[in-house]
Amino acid sequence: MSDMDEGRNGRSGSFGDTVAMDLASGHAVDLAELYALDAVTAQERDAIDLYIASAPEAERLAFLARVRQSREALARTFRVEEEPPADLFERIVAQLPAQIPGQEGQPGGGAPAPAARTGPVPQQGMTVEPGAQDELAQARKRREQRRGPSGTRRWLVGVAAAAAIALGGVGVGAYLADQADPVNQVARAADLREASVNVAGGGKATLMISASKDAAVVKMSGVPAPPAGKVYQMWLIPKDGSAPVSQGLMDEQALSRPAVVQGIHSAASLGITVEPAGGSKAPTQPTVAAAPLGA
Amino acid sequence: MTLLKAGPRQASRSPHRTAQDSPPGDLCLDLMETPNAPNSEGSAAVTDPPADLSQRLSVLLAGIARGDQAAFAEFYQLTSRRVFGMARRVLIDPELSEDTTQEVFLQVWQNAAKFDPQAGSPLSWLMTISHRRAVDKVRSSQSSTDREAKYGASTQDIDHDSVSDEVGSRLEAEAVVRCLGTLTETQQESVRLAYYGGLTYREVAERLNAAVPTIKSRIRDGLIRLKTCLGVS
Repeated sequence: MSDMDEGRNGRSGSFGDTVAMDLASGHAVDLAELYALDAVTAQERDAIDLYIASAPEAERLAFLARVRQSREALARTFRVEEEPPADLFERIVAQLPAQIPGQEGQPGGGAPAPAARTGPVPQQGMTVEPGAQDELAQARKRREQRRGPSGTRRWLVGVAAAAAIALGGVGVGAYLADQADPVNQVARAADLREASVNVAGGGKATLMISASKDAAVVKMSGVPAPPAGKVYQMWLIPKDGSAPVSQGLMDEQALSRPAVVQGIHSAASLGITVEPAGGSKAPTQPTVAAAPLGA
Repeated sequence: MTLLKAGPRQASRSPHRTAQDSPPGDLCLDLMETPNAPNSEGSAAVTDPPADLSQRLSVLLAGIARGDQAAFAEFYQLTSRRVFGMARRVLIDPELSEDTTQEVFLQVWQNAAKFDPQAGSPLSWLMTISHRRAVDKVRSSQSSTDREAKYGASTQDIDHDSVSDEVGSRLEAEAVVRCLGTLTETQQESVRLAYYGGLTYREVAERLNAAVPTIKSRIRDGLIRLKTCLGVS
């Protein structure tokens, strides 16, 4: 119905068939909207970047302003929302160590460096730069180690960033600030291993194990609530054959949240039993799940 | 082809949206808000006005640039529905969408220091990264024919999703609907095919059986109308 519309601005004739033609005929600025919309091929994008980088200042600024405005309009207009899988944040966090370039080296990190190292066009954050700065990565690692769990052995600190996010709710932000660390410390560990064991009665327990953090994160999935008056109790079974050491209790509510078990270096495995509410000093029941820690 | 159909607005968000009743094609005009927990209906409907949200996201990005994990977690919490929603819409495939979302947030973690508030809002910065990623991935993983077919299938019936009760978001949503209305249908169609279909202008032209310069003009003029109407400066 509306090829007429193109005529309205009297500008439809300005475009050629290819981006190269548009650039050659002095219509680079008119490509700003196509560029902002990612409606050009990667090669065309590069050609535009290259052209704009060396274009006269007025032309470059006009182009960048139109790109910025278009992106702003697009972000406001197209708002599809969908809840990502509950464990996606954990998976992202687990990937951070290997990929961090080490912002540690720039403590004033908020400083804009948009034109920086990658493209000729001073646009924001378009390119992933794979971690290259070993020294900085080392610094981060040292800092992580310093930040590690404090002296108090917080057995079974439940609830972590990921779970809080999965459960959503209001005011989680402030809460996270305090609680995010224990699980993240493990999830971000370079030597992270995952293991999964079935739980008698249904469901399974998944362990994220890090020897370097001397800790494991235990997540139960599909595990039924303990019978009335009972709780799940977690134990570290020491390598030296001494008595199991209680790591804390999980009631029905705690089941849905990851739990951190620390001090795993001296343990051969992690066991879970069903005990009377309040827990037991030593396991009174056979384990419903046992996971080797292999540390 | 009806590209945008303003469906009846629902008074409240449906608490349990599933993949079936909420396909990735939902056009959701809600402002960003904290992810809704299934059991936090109602109480979670606190929505920041855009300016406050922008400010908050800027502060969080500054924190992320310093390696602050809590800031990263909150940033994710506030924005992941938008990133994943767009990825799903462009890529359709859930796994590819998860991969893309993952890559986007890794990029946020790595490049937060490069965010320049002078050069745009945090959300625009994030969605630019997200769209680029999604489009790159869709182009490398699917032929344009596939994309068009899927796009067609996913956009047959686009309703506006529930609109938040919060006055600011409602006004914003209304502004967006009104401003989209200032585009011609063919302009809307071309912009949408490019944005959600991940098509290049050339692919849009082929798909619509129109001349390439015509499609370029439609996209340019459509976006200019949109931003002018929205008062983006």
